[in-house]
Formats: sequence, structure tokens, C-alpha cells
Amino acid sequence: MAASAVRRGLTLAPPVAFIRRIPWTAASSELRAHFAQFGHIRKCTVPFDRETGFHKGIGWVQFSSQEELQNALQQENHIIDGVKLQVLAQRPKVLEGDQTSDEE
Amino acid sequence: MAALLRPARWLLAAGASRRLPLYLRLFAGGPGRPSSVSRLTAADVRPAAGVLPSQARLYTIVAEKKDLSEEPPSLKRNSSQFDWALMRLDNSVRRTGRITKKLLQRVFESTCRSGSPGGNQALLLLRSCGSLLPELSLTERTEFAHKIWNKLQKLGTIYDVSHYNALLKVYLQNEHKFSPTDFLTKMEEAHIQPNRVTYQRLIAAYCNTGDMEGASKILGFMKTKDLPITEAVFSALVTGHARAGDMENAENILTVMKDAGIEPGPDTYLALLNAYAEKGNIDHVKQILENVEKSDHCLMDRDLLQIIVSFSKAGYPQYVSEILDKVTYERRYIPDAMNLILLLVTKKLEDTAFQILLALPISNEDNENDFGSFFLQHCVTMDTPAEKLIDYCKKLKEAKMHSSSLHFTLHCALLANKADLAKALMKVLKEEGFPIRFHYFWPLLIAHQKRKDVQGIIDILKIMKEMGVDPNQETYVNYVFPCFDDIKSVRAALQENECLPNSNTLYQAEVRSEALNGNLDSILSLLESNISPFPFNSLRGSLILGFRRSMNVDLWSKITELLYKDGRYCQEPPGPTEAVGYFLYNLIDSMSDSEVQAKEEHLRQYFHQLKKMNIKVSENIFRGIRNLLEGYHVPELIKDVKVLVDTEKIDSRKTPQLTSSDLESTLEKLKVGNQPIGDVLKQLILLLCSEENMEKALEVKAKYESDMVIGGYAALIHLCCRHDNAEDALNLKQEFDRLDPSAVLDTAKYVGLVKVLGKHGRLQDAINILKEMKEKDVLIKDATVLSFFHILNGEALRGETETVKQLHEAIVTLGLAKPTTNISFPLVTVHLEKDDLPAALEASIDLYQKYKILPRIHDVLCKLIERGETDLIQKAMDFVSQEQGEMTMLYDLFFAFLQTGNYKEARKIIETPGIRARPTRLQWFCDRCITSNQVETLEKLVELTEKLFECDRDQMYYSLLKLYKVNSDWQRADAAWNKMQEENIIPREKTLRLLAEILKSNNQEVPFDVPELWFEDDRHSLSSSSASTVEADMEKTVLEACRLRKFRDAFTMFLEAQKQNVVFNSETYSTLIRLLLSKDNFTEAMQVKDFAETHIKGFTLNDAANSLLIITQVRRDYLKVALETLKAALDLEHIPSKIAVTRLIQAFALKGDLESIEAIQKMVNGLSIGLSSMVFINNIALAQMKNNNIDVAIENIEHMLTSENRTIEPQYFGLSYLFRKVIEEQMEPAIEKLSIMSERLANHFALYKPVTDLFLQLVDSGRVDDAKALLQRCGAIAEQTSIFLVFFLRNSQKPKKAPVLKTLLELIPELREKEEVYSSSMKSYVLDKDVASAKVLYDHLTAKNVKLNELFLKRYASLLKHAGQPVPFTEPPESFEFYIKQLKEERESPS
Repeated sequence: MAASAVRRGLTLAPPVAFIRRIPWTAASSELRAHFAQFGHIRKCTVPFDRETGFHKGIGWVQFSSQEELQNALQQENHIIDGVKLQVLAQRPKVLEGDQTSDEE
Repeated sequence: MAALLRPARWLLAAGASRRLPLYLRLFAGGPGRPSSVSRLTAADVRPAAGVLPSQARLYTIVAEKKDLSEEPPSLKRNSSQFDWALMRLDNSVRRTGRITKKLLQRVFESTCRSGSPGGNQALLLLRSCGSLLPELSLTERTEFAHKIWNKLQKLGTIYDVSHYNALLKVYLQNEHKFSPTDFLTKMEEAHIQPNRVTYQRLIAAYCNTGDMEGASKILGFMKTKDLPITEAVFSALVTGHARAGDMENAENILTVMKDAGIEPGPDTYLALLNAYAEKGNIDHVKQILENVEKSDHCLMDRDLLQIIVSFSKAGYPQYVSEILDKVTYERRYIPDAMNLILLLVTKKLEDTAFQILLALPISNEDNENDFGSFFLQHCVTMDTPAEKLIDYCKKLKEAKMHSSSLHFTLHCALLANKADLAKALMKVLKEEGFPIRFHYFWPLLIAHQKRKDVQGIIDILKIMKEMGVDPNQETYVNYVFPCFDDIKSVRAALQENECLPNSNTLYQAEVRSEALNGNLDSILSLLESNISPFPFNSLRGSLILGFRRSMNVDLWSKITELLYKDGRYCQEPPGPTEAVGYFLYNLIDSMSDSEVQAKEEHLRQYFHQLKKMNIKVSENIFRGIRNLLEGYHVPELIKDVKVLVDTEKIDSRKTPQLTSSDLESTLEKLKVGNQPIGDVLKQLILLLCSEENMEKALEVKAKYESDMVIGGYAALIHLCCRHDNAEDALNLKQEFDRLDPSAVLDTAKYVGLVKVLGKHGRLQDAINILKEMKEKDVLIKDATVLSFFHILNGEALRGETETVKQLHEAIVTLGLAKPTTNISFPLVTVHLEKDDLPAALEASIDLYQKYKILPRIHDVLCKLIERGETDLIQKAMDFVSQEQGEMTMLYDLFFAFLQTGNYKEARKIIETPGIRARPTRLQWFCDRCITSNQVETLEKLVELTEKLFECDRDQMYYSLLKLYKVNSDWQRADAAWNKMQEENIIPREKTLRLLAEILKSNNQEVPFDVPELWFEDDRHSLSSSSASTVEADMEKTVLEACRLRKFRDAFTMFLEAQKQNVVFNSETYSTLIRLLLSKDNFTEAMQVKDFAETHIKGFTLNDAANSLLIITQVRRDYLKVALETLKAALDLEHIPSKIAVTRLIQAFALKGDLESIEAIQKMVNGLSIGLSSMVFINNIALAQMKNNNIDVAIENIEHMLTSENRTIEPQYFGLSYLFRKVIEEQMEPAIEKLSIMSERLANHFALYKPVTDLFLQLVDSGRVDDAKALLQRCGAIAEQTSIFLVFFLRNSQKPKKAPVLKTLLELIPELREKEEVYSSSMKSYVLDKDVASAKVLYDHLTAKNVKLNELFLKRYASLLKHAGQPVPFTEPPESFEFYIKQLKEERESPS
């Protein structure tokens, strides 16, 4: 239910970490296993290229809450299979200009 | 041999003294090593030395070529291309000691594309085909060189002697066998004079094969031409003699040299060393090395490595280590060493290669980077045996050079698709305790999948089994199933090969795969036939997918029932009710609101069938689903879900709560017992307050006043404020203060007091409260300021001028709020409400003088304009002009005119010379229109600002789309999209996304590629982190220039970046290309495209740019090229826009090119471009007619319309385009036959659409007589009212159509009384300012007593007023949009 609330509540940025430099040896389950220490993972994707059978080193981990995401972001080193990952907060969608105004 | 040497000696002894010394001294005399430039010459002939590259060598080429370059200035473009190519190659050599084939190929291709490549480019490419390609076999390298040679020659590159020499060099480096005499003949044929270098290299070529006779022949040539003999020649001769087996003479050459006055240099010694190495004579080698060391010369690492190569190639690897000991491992030679290592691997001397690799020093700073990957990778490419590779990996790891050598090698093996090697590596990894993961097998599976090689797939699955890896669902669905024609055959094939997994993953995969295809019946039978139980959860995602892809409600229910009732699937707690309920919840949650709306009826049936099947869901789940349905705006479905709720289990727990009467009696008891009552009293008061029972609360308070505490008072005060009870509120406040003078209420309660006191005219009390807030330093939040505004505004609306003024003043002077525009609004509002415009203006001006703010000036101006108060307008404008500048004044006026519907005046203002865009002000007005849903006003704003200087058009359309989105008006959004193309605007991604959202949410197809957010972010972060800021700035500048549509600036910046070899991301190029195309700068656009294609792997234009490219090509009449563009785009699965494809088809049709149209039809068949099949029908017919096949065309059309299984309903069979074109093109026979056809269809088949369309096109193109005749022949045309209505509605939007509509009304006068018709006509007359026709229409309608709607009257009135004529009725007072809305509502409300 929370997922749909997040989805429909457009103003909320989902707690998603964007991961780069994932070693080729790791796929979504390894990513999930690593990030589970920071909180409940709702969704974890590492897209594979259907032409090559390899992924391109990037993926996304969606946590249940912002705190969990922050936990993950605060940790300095994330290492999977001996490779240091780059973990970033997924930039929120560009929100449309705020039009709240108390005119009239 | 002496004979051979004699001429040389003679030459050197006799003639050379004058000519040679300087040249030779450079080599012989210098104490250190020669500089790279001169060394190059020496190295030229060094027989085997050429195998090793020099990183300096490419540089040298540049130096040489640049100095020599006398390129005509017109070849500037070539020169930048050259710089780029050079830099790429040079970088590669510097970093890795080599050039990869891929890189060279790319540079080559890009050079070819640049037109006619210059000589220097050719040279660069040729020179790269030798030892710089260590990963290629020698023959491959030479083939590459030949390929380049021939291709460039074809492209018109003119070769000179330097090219021939370069080719020779490549031959030497690649040990290419060729006939030097043939080579000379070829040069002769090409009229190229060989030079010294040519001869030297030819000598070296002979010497390399030990052909001393040949060498002496060339020497003879040199002699006759008086060419100097250099050390290089002697070195070659050393090699020559050695290769001929004559070591004695090889040694002798050194003496000859000395005799000739040339001191043997390192190159000569190296030749000798190599000669001994090739013989495996380590002792001699060591001895010579010692001698060299003793002399002034010293050998570089590169030379020593060369000796190693010679030893290994000759089969003496045992001596390698001895030489390696002497290598100093200077860092700058590491690339050379890498090159050598690769070369050895290519030559299958990988053990030696590995030996060198291990000996290489790795600096500590690099220890994060694993070293040796290049070696491992190349070993994989060269098919080094697995055992060896594994051994290397282990040793690299032991040596701590490479931490993940096995994994890396596995990666290479997978990339190269070497299943056996991969298997061997995985085995070792497994032994070493590393996990083997499914996705390691995917690249292998994909290779077989592409070839549909079932056996290959099975083999891989067997390997997986061997490795103990059970394929997961994804593996099956994505990588195994696609190889089979039919999922059902998978299981059989696997069974046959004993590859069936133990788990039920295959079942799940089958279900998922069928779900993806929406095959619910297959899923049902799978679930029924399955024997192993497995949890429902694992199927949920798949089933939801399948349900959404199928509309078969019966199957939905049957599957649900099976899952609910069958023990196989709902074994685990919490049981079927929860599981199915959760499934239903997820199913609905996964759908979009429009999807749920569209499938409402299906869902309803589904729920009812479930009910019949006695399937139940829990109350909790029901609530969740209810919320979802409410969110989707389909509350009608809620009752249908409700029937599923398991009523027996409804949760009826309720938290016991004390009622107020309970509390009261407790209070009573306590009081009697003389016990403290404070807490209970407070609790009671709070409860009463929450029950909004003011009377009772006050009563209780009065009764127990002595026991009241602060908290109770605060709640009571607030309660009284809410109940608008100023009297009691104020009293309570005073009591509160008496109880504790220092006590502070919270902000909201203070605000409540101010509000209620102000409202009841107790101004001074209100101000006192404000003062107290200041004194007690109450926290002022944004919300508090907002509340102040509401208080003031409330007073203003009640017209309390004095209250507003004083409260405002108190708030501002006390500093509770800053004197912003917002908070000062009410000061003006109060006058506007009373319609006192002078006072309102005065108040605004007054505020400006006090606080430099000008609130509501827009509204004031609007009112003044509506009233025509010219003097006051003048006053306002003068004031604004003086205080804020003329520009601000103009904008104020512009917006006021727009707002009041005075578009003509607005246009005049915005066309004032010198006015430029003010983005914030424009945005303000846009936002205002959006919030108040003023579609027409906003549309006008967008329209009027089209030519406004520096106006951000995309932003304007973005705002417009935002408003359309609010109204879900996809038609207008679509129209806006077209207008944007007309205006050649490059939309930002957010605009495209917004547009796509509107279309999608209205179930329309999106005619362009929607930028993906996640990937976009990824791209941005990639580019931002990797690119330097300068590059990022360049890119930004380009994008900004594109946005502002300054294509010249953008292009100049692109050229600048190109010069510096800065590569942007592909979107940027697409954007730039689109801008250039839209400005008709075709050549420049193609230049950008070329650059992008050569610098970004797999660069392709995005859909919008591609579409524009096609349109531009069509416009330029490059139809074949346009067709190729279309084909290429489609091959990449891009979807070009409808308009682009349509334009192309139309262009072919006008050319009569039927074939191409049919080709396009084939290409786009089944694609979602949104092309109507009429486009093809019309244009194919037109093309046929152009080819004089009129009868065929007509027959086809008739057949389509009259055949029994026609695909297009006659009412949609629009031939207007065809009619229009044949009329425009004056194809008289075609017109005649089409006319006959249309009449026949009307008379014999009662199909009136074609004849009516023809009639309309005749009218439209001014052939009224023909139209009249047609109408006379076919009177039924006049009855096709619906077609006419559409025609009227459409044409009334276009300018200059009034005469056409007028003619039509004259031909068919009975149309005139139709509301749509007269409304449209009036609209058109107004648009074309045709007062006379409007008058005729009006008079006609009033004479007929037609009741005219207000919009019509308003339009007519505006036209009359505009023409300065009196309006014969009272003009409807409201604005246009008011009446439009009114009409719309009238139409929508059921009457």
C-alpha cells in the first residue's frame, strides 16, 4: 500500500539509491543481499542488456523509507565482490513549478 | 660478399665525404642516444626492430607532417579531422602501447566519411597498421593496411612517396613477404620517384629474408643515384648476412662501417644482438652487451625487449630471464613492454609473455587497479589453453598483481563467448569457493538464442547443471524460451536431455512467460496439470501481468478459484483468503487509473464471479482496495468488491472510551470527596472542546472555575474563537492572563483571537493581541503569515477598510510579517470589492511609495480597462513607467489587455519595438492562467509571444500543456505539439514527458520517443562526474544556445568542442541537429551527425531529430536519402513521427514513385506510428494517377469501398487529400474520372462521402462552377450535413476561409440555420474581419427568428466594434471564455 501511496503522491521522492560501478559478477540478488543491511528493500533492479547478456554496471535499490536510504548513503564504502560501488541518491523527478499562491 | 660491400665502401670513401658526414655524425658521434626524430630514420631500416613500436613514433609523424604540411587552406575541415584522429591514436599508444583494431577501424571509417581524406590522414592510418597492432596477426595487419590503401585511393587521396614508404615500413614490421622489384615497378607506374628511405627499406626487406643478392641490387641503385649509405643500411646488412647464415660477414659489417667512417651505433649492435639471439647464442649476446656497456652506447629497455623477442621467436625461451635481468623497467617503456607481451601472445609465445609480465614493476599507486588484464584478455582472444590461463590467473593472484584474475578472465571468456573456457574457469572458481551465479551463463545463452540453436542452449543448461546452478525464472523466460518456437516444447526438450530442474522454477517460468503473452488459458492448464505444490506468492507478479494482458474474465475467475481452493497453491499461512485478497489488491494496484476505468465492467464481472465461487477476502484487504478504487475515481466498483468481504470475520474490537458524562460524574464524585480534580477537569474540558460543545464547556468552566488550569483555558479560548464567540474568547483570555501573566498561547490560538476580534470590530483588542504576540515573541511561521493574510483578506471582502488598514499596519510595523505583496493585497482588494477604482489605484501607489510593492496592479488595470477609465490608466502607467521602467509598464498593460480579452491591443503592446522576453513575468501570467483555468487567455499569450525576442517558446508551450493536462484536453495538447513543430521548437524533455502523459492518460498514442527518467539521470551523473567542468560548460553552452534557438552560436561552440575533441552526450547532438535542421542548415546538421556517429558508439538520432531529418530531406527533395533515413530509423526500432512519414509518402506520391510508397507501407506495417491507412490509399492512388494509371487507381478505390470485406468504413474513407492534390496539380482527366467514380458510388451504392468530399474540395479550391454542376447532378450531396458540419468546424479555425464558407452557404443555403454552421461561419468572418458577410448572416438569422447564443453575439459585437460600427444589440457583458464555458456546460448537461 505504501508503494502506491508513494507512486501517487507525486511530490514524494521515492527512497531510491542509484548504484553505479556494479561489478559484472553481481546481479540484483547480490545487490539486494548487500543493501538489506540498511533496511527493507522494496525493489532492486539491475537491467541486463538483452543483446550481450551483461548488465551495464548500474542499478537501483528502492527502500521502504527515506531513513533506510540515508543509512545506505551514509555508509562510506559499499563493496560487492571486492569492487567498490558508487551509491547515490536517485535524483527526484523534476517537480513542476510550485504554484501555490495565496492570491485572492 | 666483399664484392657487395665494395661499392659501398667506394661510395663512402669517395663521394660521401662532402655529402655524408653531417648526416652520419648524428648517428655515430653523439654520446647519448639520438633524438627521436633522427632515431626514426635509423629505426627505419632496422630489420626486426620495427616490430616494436615507439610511443614517440606517432608524435614524430605529427612533427614531420605538421612541419611539412602545406595543405591548402580549404582543407581546414580535413585538418581538424586529422587532429582528432591523431589524438585518438596517440592517446591509445601512450596509454597502452598499442592501438586496438576497433579504434583504428573507427578512425578509418570516420576519415572515410570526412570526404576526401588528406594525405596526412592516409599516412597516419597506414603507419598504424604495423607493430602498433600487436593483437592482430601479422597477415591481418597487412590486410588492414591494404584495405586502407585501396579505400583511400578510391576516395581520391593522392599518394606520394611517403605513403609508399609507410607501406614498406608496415610490410617490414609485419614481416610481409613481397617482391621489392614489383614494389618499385608499382611506384614507377604511379610516377612516384623512390627516395633513399625507399631503398633503405627495400634493402631491409631483402635482408630480412637473407637475400643478399637482392640487397646488393638495391645498393647498386642507391649508388647510381648517389644516395648516402647510412647506419640503417649497415644494420640491415648485418641482419641480412646473419639471416643468410653468415655470421662472420655480419660481424665484418662493423669493420666496414668503421672503415667508411661510420661508428656502429646501438642499432647496429642491436641488429647483431638479434642475429645472435636468433641463433640462440646467449654467450655472444652477453658478450656484445658487455661491450656495448663499456662503450659510450647504451641500450634501452626497448632494445632489450627486442632481444627477448628474438630469443623467444627462435625457440630459446630459456634465455629470456637473463636478458630480463638487464631490463631497468623505466616507466616510460611499460607501454612498449605491454605491446611486446601482446605480440608474444599473438605469436603463441604466451609463456614468455607471462614471464615479462611478471617481471614488470607495478607501482604502488596503481595497486587498486589490477594489472595484467590486457594480457589475460588477449590470451582469451588467442585461445590460449584453459589450463595455462588458469595457471596464469593463479600466479597473478599469488603475486598480488591481480586480485580477481579468474573472474576477469571469465568475463573475457563470456564476452568472447567461449563456453569451454568459461566452463573451465567456473569450475576453478567453484573449487576456490566462489559462487557461480545464473547470470554468468546469460551471455552464453544469448549467443545460442540469437542463432535459435536449441542444442547450444541445452549444452549451456547442462553446464549449469554440472556447476550446480539451477536456472532461475529469469534465465528461462529471457534466455531459454525465446530460442524455442513454443514454450510447451521446452519442457520436453529439457526432459529429453535430462536438464529438468528439481525445483518448480520451470513451472513458474512457464507461467510467467505465458503471462507475458497474455495466454491465460495456457496458464490455467499449466496450473491444473502441475503436480508439485508451490506458493501462490511466487506466481503473483506473473499472474497480474497475465490478467492485465487478457480480457477473459472467465479465465481470470477460473484461475483465481483454482488458486483459492487448490491445496497446491495456498498451503502456507495465512491461507487463501489473505493470499487471494492480497492478489486482488496487487492486481488493482498495478493498474493505472485509466486502465481500471477502462476495465471497470470486466472487473465487476470478475468480482461477481468470484462471489459465486464463494471466494472471500478480508475486511482489511477490502479497505485497501476501496482506497485504491477511490483514488482511481472508480468508486462505483467498491460495492462490487464489498460483496467479497468475509462478514464473519469482521473485526469488531473498539477501544473503550470515556464519555463526557462519565467524566462529569467522576468529577462530581471527586469534588464531593474533596480530592484534587485538576486533571479530570482538564480532561473533560478537552473532551468537550473536541466535541465542539462550547456551551457545556463554558458551563463546566464556570462551575469549577477555581480549579481551571492554563491548558483548559487555552483549549476553551480556541473553542470560542472557532465558534465566533469574541466576547467569551476575550474574557477567557483575560482570565488566562490573570492566572499566569507570563503564560503564552500557541500561535494558532493568538491568530484565532486576532481574527475573531477583528471580525467583531474590536480592532483595538485585536491589535493588543498582535502586540502581545510581539512582546512574548510568539513563533511566526509561514503559515502564520498566511493566516494574517486570510484575516486581512476576510476583512477586505467584508469591506472593512479601516480594519484592514490598521491591522495591516500593526502587523507590518510590529514586524510580525514583512510588507510583502501578498500580505498587502487586501489593502487594494478592499477598494476593488467596493468597485472604487481610484481608491484601489491610490492604495496600490501608496503601498509602492511606502514599501516598494505594487499589489494587485494587474487587477486594478484590468478593471480600469474594462471600464475604459483612460485617465486612470494613464495615471497608473505613468506611475509604473516612472517607478519601475517602461518595460514593466508594457508588460503590465499587455497582461491586462490579455486578461480582458483585448487581444488586438495586447498584440500592439507586445510588438513594441525593443521589448524582450521577461521570463519571470511571463511565467507569472502563465501560472495565473493555469490556476484559474483560462485556456483561451493562455493560448493567446502563447500565440502573441511567438515573435517576442528571446522568448523561451518551449517554456510557454510547457505551461500551455500543463493547463491542457489539468483539463485532460489531449486534442488541444496534440494541436500544441503540432504548432511547436511548426515553430520549430526544440522541446525540453520535461515538455515531451508532459505531452506524453497527457496523451497516454487519454489513451492516445504517443507519437515520439519519451525520454526515460532513470536513464536520463544516470546519463547526467555519468557525464557530470567524468567530464571536466570545461567540457560540461561547453555542453551547457551548446544546450543553452539550442534552447534559445541561436543555432549559429550552438554550432560554433560545437566546432570549438570538436577542435578540443570534447564529446558531448548523444542527446545534446540530437538537440543540436534538430535545431540546425529546423533552421534549414542541412550541411551543418550532417556534420554534427557525422561527428557524433564517429565519437559515440551506437549514436543514433532520437525520434524527433530523425523525423525532422526526414522532413528536411523531403523538403530538399532528397527523397531516396530520406527513405534510407526512415529505413535506418526503423531498423533501430525507432518510431519516426507520423508527420515525417506522411510527408515522405506524399512527396513520393507527387513524384509518382509507387514503389517507394509500397516499400514504406511494408516497413511501417504493424508499427504504432499512427498513420491512417487512408494516407496510403490516397497517395498510392495519386502516384498511380501521376503514372497515368488512372483507371487502376480508381478501380482499387472502388473495390475497397464496395467489396464486402472492406477494412475501412465508408464514412471514414476520406479522399479529400487525393481530390485536393489532383485539383491542385490540374490533372484534369483524373478529376473527371474521380468525379464519375464518386457519382457512381453515390448513385449505385449510396456512398455519399466521396462525392461530398469532392464537392467540398472543388468549392475549397475555388472551382465553384464545377461544384455547382456536381451538386446539380447529385442532389444528395446537400443532405450530407454531418460532413459539412465537420468541414465548417475545421475551416473556421483557419484564416482566409471565410469566402469558402460563404460560397458553400450560397450553394447550400439550408445549412445556414444549423447552429454549428452559423457559429463557425461567424467565427470565420470574425477571423477574416469580413463585416459584410457577418452582417448578412446576422440579418438572415434574425429574420428567421433564430435564437442566437451569446457567444455568437459577443463575436459579432467584437467584429462590429473593431470596425467602428454600432452594435445593434446589447453586447453580452461577460468574457468570451465565460460564454464558451457556458455553451459547453449547456451541451454537456442533459437537457
